[in-house]
Amino acid sequence: MGPNLGVLETLTAQDPATGKVGPGLASSWTISPDATSFTFHLYDGVTFSDGSPFTADIVKANFENIQKLGPTASNSGAYLAGLTSITAPDQRTVTVAFAKPNIQFLQATSAPALSILSTGSLAGTAADRCTGKIVGTGPFILSSYIPHQNIVLSKRPDYKLAPSTAQHTGAAYLDKIDIRIVSDVTTRTGSLLSGQLDATNAVAPQDEARFDGNGFSVISRTLPGVVLSLYVNEKKTILQDQNVRLAIQKAINRADIVSTLYSPHYKPATSVLSSTTPGYTDFSSQLTYDPITAKRLLDSAGWTVGPDGIRVRGGQKLALDVIFGQPQSLELVQQQLKQVGIQLNLRQLQISQIQPQLVAGNYDLFLGNSSRADPDVLRTLFKQFAIVGSDSPALTAALSKQAESLDPAARQQAVTDAQKIVVSNAHVVPITEFAQVVGQSSKVNGLSFAANSSVRFYDAWLS
Amino acid sequence: MNEYASAAVPVRRRALRVGGGLVRAPGLTLSGLLLALVLAWALVPGRFTSQDPLLGVTADRLRPPSGRHPFGTDYLGRDLYSRVVHGAAPSLKATAVAVAVALVAGAVIGTIAGYLGGWIDTALMRVMDVLLAIPGLLLALALVSAIGFGVIHVAIAVAIVSVAGFARVMRAEVLVVRNAMFIDAARGGGARRGRILLTHVVPNAVGPLLALAALDIGSVLLTVSALSFLGFGAAPPAAEWGQLIASGQTYLYAAWWLTTFPGLTIALVVLATNRVARALEATAGPSW
Repeated sequence: MGPNLGVLETLTAQDPATGKVGPGLASSWTISPDATSFTFHLYDGVTFSDGSPFTADIVKANFENIQKLGPTASNSGAYLAGLTSITAPDQRTVTVAFAKPNIQFLQATSAPALSILSTGSLAGTAADRCTGKIVGTGPFILSSYIPHQNIVLSKRPDYKLAPSTAQHTGAAYLDKIDIRIVSDVTTRTGSLLSGQLDATNAVAPQDEARFDGNGFSVISRTLPGVVLSLYVNEKKTILQDQNVRLAIQKAINRADIVSTLYSPHYKPATSVLSSTTPGYTDFSSQLTYDPITAKRLLDSAGWTVGPDGIRVRGGQKLALDVIFGQPQSLELVQQQLKQVGIQLNLRQLQISQIQPQLVAGNYDLFLGNSSRADPDVLRTLFKQFAIVGSDSPALTAALSKQAESLDPAARQQAVTDAQKIVVSNAHVVPITEFAQVVGQSSKVNGLSFAANSSVRFYDAWLS
Repeated sequence: MNEYASAAVPVRRRALRVGGGLVRAPGLTLSGLLLALVLAWALVPGRFTSQDPLLGVTADRLRPPSGRHPFGTDYLGRDLYSRVVHGAAPSLKATAVAVAVALVAGAVIGTIAGYLGGWIDTALMRVMDVLLAIPGLLLALALVSAIGFGVIHVAIAVAIVSVAGFARVMRAEVLVVRNAMFIDAARGGGARRGRILLTHVVPNAVGPLLALAALDIGSVLLTVSALSFLGFGAAPPAAEWGQLIASGQTYLYAAWWLTTFPGLTIALVVLATNRVARALEATAGPSW
């Protein structure tokens, strides 16, 4: 995940520690009792870096623009799904209404995808904005952007407001930030060690030890949302059998995967949601490594061990096809599943090839994760994208209930129920919690993580 | 007439003199021995290592080279030497298939073009020119993206890329042989076209083609390894040489041996094939 550049801002800001949504560009808000209508009261006196004022009309125009973009803006579009009207009764008030209860929208207004652009930026095309023609209300200005090369940010001296999650108000401390885009992880490590960079994100787990007490350090935060998991295609006959799904779940040794491939910054999954996701509930007792039970479940499902150690039933081999983009943890999962007699065939694909295979249902398992600091990410996964073949009515009910519950306790209960159904039926097989790991030199102070685990520069300074 | 024709067929089989070669050509002998070793790895990997290339002890991961693990262990604790030895088979298989397909296809295309001539020649050779005009690795990448991943697909893609060189050499040889006296003689003797082609033209033209094939093995192995490095080859956890380098790439700081040993293996094998091919070329060159 890339850093939060601080060029654009959002209506609200989510506290990474508590998951609570606090003021951003909006000072306060009210939600109708049926969770269908959201009224935001905007701060007065906020301006964009081009000098134009921030108003309710601009918020309205931003959301309408996302709707107009349609599938081009699938990420932000998903947050606004079911939107029926946006009204701006005065320049300080915006009301957004949905056809159905949609409590996730409050957290969505803190997501970078629903950042507010200036009128000038909106007037350009989406392609223009992708080449860096963006103007926002944030503490930094995008000075230059060369795709695949670098981004230069400069401080906005007249910045006044700061979101509720910031440690200070007023202008940022750093005058200029030069962000280099270096895709090779080894080069990033070398550049930080040699002093060409002050900080680097996405440090490889095996390189973390190099940034330990030698003028460098590592900070990290677990990614919120659905953990790195095997998404099960339950439209396949073999995988409709819950015993097979549970056997896969129990045959995976998560602790071994983390200690072998990752570092202490990464954790074995303890639910389908990661521990930094609001609404997360610990189901680690159901995600223990238990190969004996896994074998018993496969035995009872009629899969007997064949001559090569792989199980067979009625002449059919227990061989599953898994598609993915990043291979490493799967080789270990493959070894672990083989121990109980399941053959995993790894089919690595280019990112562009994955979506068509998912749509065509041409896979048994898909290795993926889905990052968002809101439990509604589960509903998106099961209902909107329909990657997962499960059509369990209990799960659908729990996911709808959490989307409707204005009361935090009621929503928490529904989210816990949903996680319980997913884990105990192995609709998704959780593996590991991913982390955003940043390496920094000792000169760097105050780098912090947003609720979505992206890096923030606003409170940072160099000593 | 028959006597004339057979006397003019100079199919020569000059064996390499290996005896005493270590003194006269140490590089050649070492290269030969290395190739023999790698070939043996591919055929009977179990004789060279007793450790499982696919199953490691995760507690022993990323161990540097030692007596127990001569090339060290990888990120899953698998013995790297064992993976390199077992990786010989898919890497060499892809190379062999690619060279063989390119050789046969090139020979057929070159023979048809050279012997028939006319517009068929023009059409076939222009297609070959187009293949030559596109950078090899780029074309191979495009082809393998289109036909799919896997060792055999990689081999076919590389074969298509290499076919033009073979077709050109074969055509040139066929053009020379076609106008030789003994062909006229065979034709005068009433032999049919197909018979002349198969028994007289092809055997006499194929020598330089084989020398080219030997020379090509090195570059084909490099292309195959490059494609496997990019993830188009055998699916993990299989151990193809290029893929071994790729998987060690992110461990450059933590474990230098992961990239060094497979890299050295590829480099040495390519150098050795080139050395041997040059010796073959010197003995099996055209003789008329």
